[in-house]
Amino acid sequence: MLKILQQYKKRIDVPLLAVIFFILSFGLITLSGSNLDSPNIIINQITNIFVGLLIFSILIFTNPRILFVYAPILFLLCLLLLVLVHFFGVESNGAKRWLAFGAINLQPSELLKVTLPLMIAWLYQNNQNNISLGIHFLAVFIIFIPVYLVFLQPDLGTSIMIALSGLLIIFLAGIPWRLILTSTVITIISSPIIWMNLHAYQKNRVLNMLDPFTDPLGTGYHTIQSMIAIGSGGGFGKGWAEGSQTNLQFLPEANTDFIFAVYSEEFGFFGIAIIFILYLLFIYRIFILANHMQDTFSKLLTASLGVSIFSAIFVNIAMISGLVPIVGLPLPFMSYGGTSMVVSLASIGIIMSLNNHKTLIAN
Amino acid sequence: MDNYRFKYIFKKRLLILFGLLTFLLFILLSKIFYLQIIQYDRFNALSKSNSIKVIPIPPKRGLILDRNNVILADNKLVHSLEIDRASFSGLAEIKDRLKNKLNIEIDTFDITNKRISYLYENTVPIAFSLTNKQIASFVAHQYLFPELTLKERFIRDYPNGKSSAHIIGYINRINEKDMDFIKKQNLTGQYLGSSHIGKSGTEKFYENLIQGTPGFKEIEVDARQNVIRTLGERKPVPGKDINLTIDYRLQKIAENAFGEKKGALIAIDPENAEVLAYVSQPTFNPSLFTNGISHEAWADLNEKSSKAMLDRVTAGLYPPGSTLKPFVALAALNNNIRKPPFSIFDSGRFKMPNSSKVFRDWKRGGHGTVDIIKAITVSCDTFFYGLGLELGIPKLNKVLNDFGFGRKTMIDINGEKSGLIASKEWKKKRFNQRWYAGETAITAIGQGFTLVTPLQLANATAKLANPTLSIKPHLILNIDGIKQDQEKDEWGKQSYKDEDLKWVKEGMVNVTKKGGTAAFLGKKSNYQMASKTGTAQLFGLKKDEEYNEDILPDSLKDHALFITYAPAINPKIVIAVIVENGGHGGSVAGPIAKEILDAYLEK
Repeated sequence: MLKILQQYKKRIDVPLLAVIFFILSFGLITLSGSNLDSPNIIINQITNIFVGLLIFSILIFTNPRILFVYAPILFLLCLLLLVLVHFFGVESNGAKRWLAFGAINLQPSELLKVTLPLMIAWLYQNNQNNISLGIHFLAVFIIFIPVYLVFLQPDLGTSIMIALSGLLIIFLAGIPWRLILTSTVITIISSPIIWMNLHAYQKNRVLNMLDPFTDPLGTGYHTIQSMIAIGSGGGFGKGWAEGSQTNLQFLPEANTDFIFAVYSEEFGFFGIAIIFILYLLFIYRIFILANHMQDTFSKLLTASLGVSIFSAIFVNIAMISGLVPIVGLPLPFMSYGGTSMVVSLASIGIIMSLNNHKTLIAN
Repeated sequence: MDNYRFKYIFKKRLLILFGLLTFLLFILLSKIFYLQIIQYDRFNALSKSNSIKVIPIPPKRGLILDRNNVILADNKLVHSLEIDRASFSGLAEIKDRLKNKLNIEIDTFDITNKRISYLYENTVPIAFSLTNKQIASFVAHQYLFPELTLKERFIRDYPNGKSSAHIIGYINRINEKDMDFIKKQNLTGQYLGSSHIGKSGTEKFYENLIQGTPGFKEIEVDARQNVIRTLGERKPVPGKDINLTIDYRLQKIAENAFGEKKGALIAIDPENAEVLAYVSQPTFNPSLFTNGISHEAWADLNEKSSKAMLDRVTAGLYPPGSTLKPFVALAALNNNIRKPPFSIFDSGRFKMPNSSKVFRDWKRGGHGTVDIIKAITVSCDTFFYGLGLELGIPKLNKVLNDFGFGRKTMIDINGEKSGLIASKEWKKKRFNQRWYAGETAITAIGQGFTLVTPLQLANATAKLANPTLSIKPHLILNIDGIKQDQEKDEWGKQSYKDEDLKWVKEGMVNVTKKGGTAAFLGKKSNYQMASKTGTAQLFGLKKDEEYNEDILPDSLKDHALFITYAPAINPKIVIAVIVENGGHGGSVAGPIAKEILDAYLEK
């Protein structure tokens, strides 16, 4: 038993896990504060964390070579699920995002956040001594397929997040600056076409973000209420479980997408500064690990997984503070919910597994 | 690109990326700093106003009581149906559904008016006094009406129905005009949460006393407006209870004596000008307004011939007819003309000097030898024609003005009319015509242009009965049990010689004695009364045309008038009665007054 624990300790990166434990506990504290009379939610969330850590533990003992070998198959499987969503998905609010397998609801687009970087990293690894323009273009094409499928669900937020996580790998893989510039210009020029293809509710969200107070009871309501929650927190917050915006249910989705607004209301700017330092340490540590890894696959995958969690954090907080439109994105490690928790912890598990086998894939 | 170069580029790009991510986090932190530190006050206030609501609690209106604490206007707790202010747009549709599904009629006023609905916190009452059946059917179908809630409110209750309606007045929903008034008087704070305001009678005149001050309840609500807890409460201060001078027992007797007849009656205590009874017939049920009156009921009340809403006591204008004669006689005596033993021989005809025009007395053949005392007793027109011509309009008007004719008495009821005492100047201005001598003659018998209110008649009679009376007639007795002293009126001072007054009073006492115009009233009386009958013609008879009551339509029949005070010495009560289209004053209006005198003096 002791041996296993020693093995376990050897395989984890203590600083990274410590940071994550802090963030996880902040999430749990916030969640329990606003659910004092519904212990089920806290029990469920602890279960979610437990399941996430279990998968994390399995992954750190797993040889990442398996991931590398199965990357294309996992990716294709995800694509298949995405296609299935189109035909058999559960519809809600005019969008098909979920597949129902009995009691389990699966959101394939969440899985893509791991399998797409896996696939792209696999691509670059296989051509590690020969990374050419052609490979970059191939990578862009591979990214485009799932992004488009998710966009069709429609799920604008997730499709942008997936696209970013894929494009990020291309960036880290050293795509020339002139290509980056060219594609940026093309994106800007083609943005009117994207705008025309947006759904009415998506357009509304974008427009409302410009001035949420023009329609305080309509689409701007969520943004306003969450801005009020954050703003009224002030320097040191209203105190744990004392958030009036939260407790009186002015804040929508206080347990899931808007949990950071609850945290802000109750712990104020001071609490936010602390958690921001943790976020910075989190990505810094992952980048250190990535830099120390030896093979292309590990480096790209580690950085990509880290950045995709970080972007999810950024977009979520930008969303609740009124910087970007509300897109429906959970806050990693804090929001109530299984999928996001498990995927995030699994990502960390993969990173640590890669870290343990620095030399296994190389050559 | 080889592996070595890849590692180099990768490291460089990681660094760039880390810089970018730090920058993004910094932007985020700036935004949050802006929200939490710079804009803290604003968002903190918004968060408070989100969750804390101040709900006004309307005060109970003060009670209106008679002088013996008989309740005339009360409050009762009723169930009201109230609509969420946010759902005004659907009101018309909700109204139809309520009517069709639950048979509940809602108030037809304009609650969607922003200024008025401001008075309410979050819900506005649309129906009061729901019956148990309506409540039950609403509760059963509440899911169909998510915008509506059932609440409890105090609403005015008038236990005596139509009785005394014109004194009490009525209340109705606050409308745009009331809102103007409330705003102008800076009373908005007093009316928060209130739905009604006094519209007439005591309810209106003493509105500022009866209304009271609203209380407030500070509550915390959640996003669905459910009340979480009460943070603080200030109890409303109920309005002041008001005792009127009215004696409800007497009031009821007077109303019963009137029966279905149209007209007005007012009884005043000549010692202190307290109004004891105040009847205006036909009347209305003030409760009709508190629940929102239907168009049909409103049209019915304002129907031209009955005019139930008209307060005939203070706003009904009538030709005084012969009831004016005692005052005309006093004017003559005061000017030293027609003093006894001066007398005339009345043949029933009066020929205008320097004219061929002849005026007739009401009695064919005349009254024989008549002095001023007998002229009052038998109501001799011929005597007064001559008296009027000799006295002249200016001197007559001065005395009539002294007795309060042609001006408001300033009683504590809104909408009082001042009546009309005509003069040469008035006629010139009004009709641009000159004044004829014949008009002077008929003015002296109470016909012509002269118009009086029953209140003015009673007030003048009270001054005759008690020349020292210098208090205006009033309805207020106590406020919250504290007696209200009345200020003395400057113009009320009388300066008439006792001797002159004695002759006039003698003529009036004789009215109910043998030979008087109301002799039958005096037959079984244990006290002496001083009276004057009157018959006001509603149209002029052509020369030599006979007045035949039987062939005239009701609406053209003469008004019957009667003024009286009793006992003749140390008078305790003064009464003026007008029965519209009642015919002869003595026989129609007199018995009504007598019933009240009996009840009051022989109780």
